[in-house]
Amino acid sequence: MSVISTDPRIFKSSRIETKPARELNTRWLQPVLLQLARIAAALLLPAALLVLWQVAVDKQWMPEQILPAPGLVWQTLLELWESGDLQTHLLISASRVGWSLLIGTTVGLLFGFGMGLSRTVKAYVAPTFDVVAQFPVLGWIPILIIFAGIDEALKISAITIAVVVPVAVNTLKGIANIPRNLFEVAKVYRFTGWQVVFRVVLPSAAPSLFNGLRQAVMQAWLTLVFVELLASSEGIGYLMVWGRQLAQLDLVMVGMLVIGLVGVVLDIALRLIEAHLQRWRHSAF
Amino acid sequence: MKRRTFAAAIGAAPLLALNPLRAFAADGKPTTIRISFPGAGTGGRPVQGGSFPGNSHLLRAIDEEFKEDGIKIEWKFFPGAGPALNESFANGLTDFAFGHGDLPLIVGRSTGLKHKILMSSSRGGNSYFVVPAASSAKALVDLKGKRLSTFKGTAQQLTLYRWLDKFGLTEKDFRIISLDADSTLAALSTGDIDGTVRAPFDLEARGVARRIAELKDDPYISTPGSVWVGEEFEKKYPAIVQRLVTRLIKVAYWSTQEANREKQFQLWSTSGTPYLDYKKDWETTADLRNRINPLLDEYYTTSIQRSIEETKKYKLIRREVNFDGWLEPKYLNNALKELKLEDYWPQQDAQGKIKVPGRKRT
Repeated sequence: MSVISTDPRIFKSSRIETKPARELNTRWLQPVLLQLARIAAALLLPAALLVLWQVAVDKQWMPEQILPAPGLVWQTLLELWESGDLQTHLLISASRVGWSLLIGTTVGLLFGFGMGLSRTVKAYVAPTFDVVAQFPVLGWIPILIIFAGIDEALKISAITIAVVVPVAVNTLKGIANIPRNLFEVAKVYRFTGWQVVFRVVLPSAAPSLFNGLRQAVMQAWLTLVFVELLASSEGIGYLMVWGRQLAQLDLVMVGMLVIGLVGVVLDIALRLIEAHLQRWRHSAF
Repeated sequence: MKRRTFAAAIGAAPLLALNPLRAFAADGKPTTIRISFPGAGTGGRPVQGGSFPGNSHLLRAIDEEFKEDGIKIEWKFFPGAGPALNESFANGLTDFAFGHGDLPLIVGRSTGLKHKILMSSSRGGNSYFVVPAASSAKALVDLKGKRLSTFKGTAQQLTLYRWLDKFGLTEKDFRIISLDADSTLAALSTGDIDGTVRAPFDLEARGVARRIAELKDDPYISTPGSVWVGEEFEKKYPAIVQRLVTRLIKVAYWSTQEANREKQFQLWSTSGTPYLDYKKDWETTADLRNRINPLLDEYYTTSIQRSIEETKKYKLIRREVNFDGWLEPKYLNNALKELKLEDYWPQQDAQGKIKVPGRKRT
């Protein structure tokens, strides 16, 4: 944090001495450098962990069969990438997550909008939904195995359940938090039902909707790894189990790294989409 | 997730360094001997059937041997089978393995685990390819593209691959998922898998599954199991190792007596594997010595060597494994000599044929 806070001061002092033409330059540079400093600060902890990891390996605090060297993990990552195995597994996992997100988000939005827009639906559905939403996904697995077997259906349905709940809950919350007076204005303008949805509800509930979506993506990945540990012959989760069975813990670590990376990428992508859709909000202020 | 797991691992590191379970007393005697089986009974119960090392636990022979010395025997059973045993040994929590399968044994060795092979724990027998009762498959080839299960990382994986190889198929012709014994049973009855290798008798009696092929006494389909001791333990307590090995050979001798056939099947069935499966599977073994044989003979070494080649072929290991400093037959030979059993067991050649027949029973 100290890195970030000292930076602006440097620029302030330099701004006084420079000519107006260069002033523009530094003004443009300032947020970039700030961003860089932020990234550097964020990387400090992982770097420290990496060093600790290497030291732990060098000093043999743990047996090499249990804690592989960072270099080996990196090498395995490269090998898996070059052989194309990593992409294959990742693609399979991604398609499982993709389908589940598609189905889960649709169902979640239906639930959320249904309960948010109609008192009747809410009266009938909400109590049941609240109870069911309390079950953790892991609790669903035994019963899902009985109904869906152990194949793709199990994986997709388990991940879908993990997706539905945050999407529905956040949609409902987003709609419930729309200020009453917006609806009153809509009434004054004699908006139709569709106009209310597209011009009032969607834009105002969007932040909460995206929040739900981001949670859903995170939950989907977590659940994915768990269901792939169960009975699988492919996917990132499977790769990790396989690595453990063959005492190749570097494979497990590669799996963890990839899952972390994909999670970060998805999160950033969703943030960007959200920011893009919400430009109107910034300009309004 | 990665960071948290890693932090937990780092937190655990000092605990491992000061491991209280590495309880070695100073007077040349350990306070405990940790003996591990690469498996457990149904639902994880602490019983291992099907082998003479299993009998040594069921008959409490090893416990008795060291009772007077005040040495406690700690028995460990791993539902995670051979791979879990490797992890336990890597963490310094195991002294002896009582029957490690070929694949996890070789995988462990390839990662640098240091142990000495003392004797063979089991060998031979029949192998059956089983499908759900409702399956229309008549031969392995009918299952192409379907889902088979095996417990990956254990000896079963190589056995399945050998089955496929025998019928001109490869593991790429199927979708092979990893399931443990309990889950395989459940998956067979629900039809979630289309085939697996296991004992069929009880399942057939209950109408759950049926066999579509069987290989009787094929010396190539399975590989002998191994009993080993950790190198550190062996160096420190050679006298203890000798006593344990000698006692184990006594149990092996007991297990080969025809009079004890039924008795040990009864003992084994306490693991949850049905009595019928043992009885039928061993019916073709007229002389129990053909399967209960501790020798490190030509058949043993060539079988393990063949398995090493297979693990390389299927890319299951990344570092070379060879026999240098791996076998330690002196304890076995001493025991055989002491018990006057040198010529008791048959010696098999590289192809599994009996080269030197066992002593005539009197």
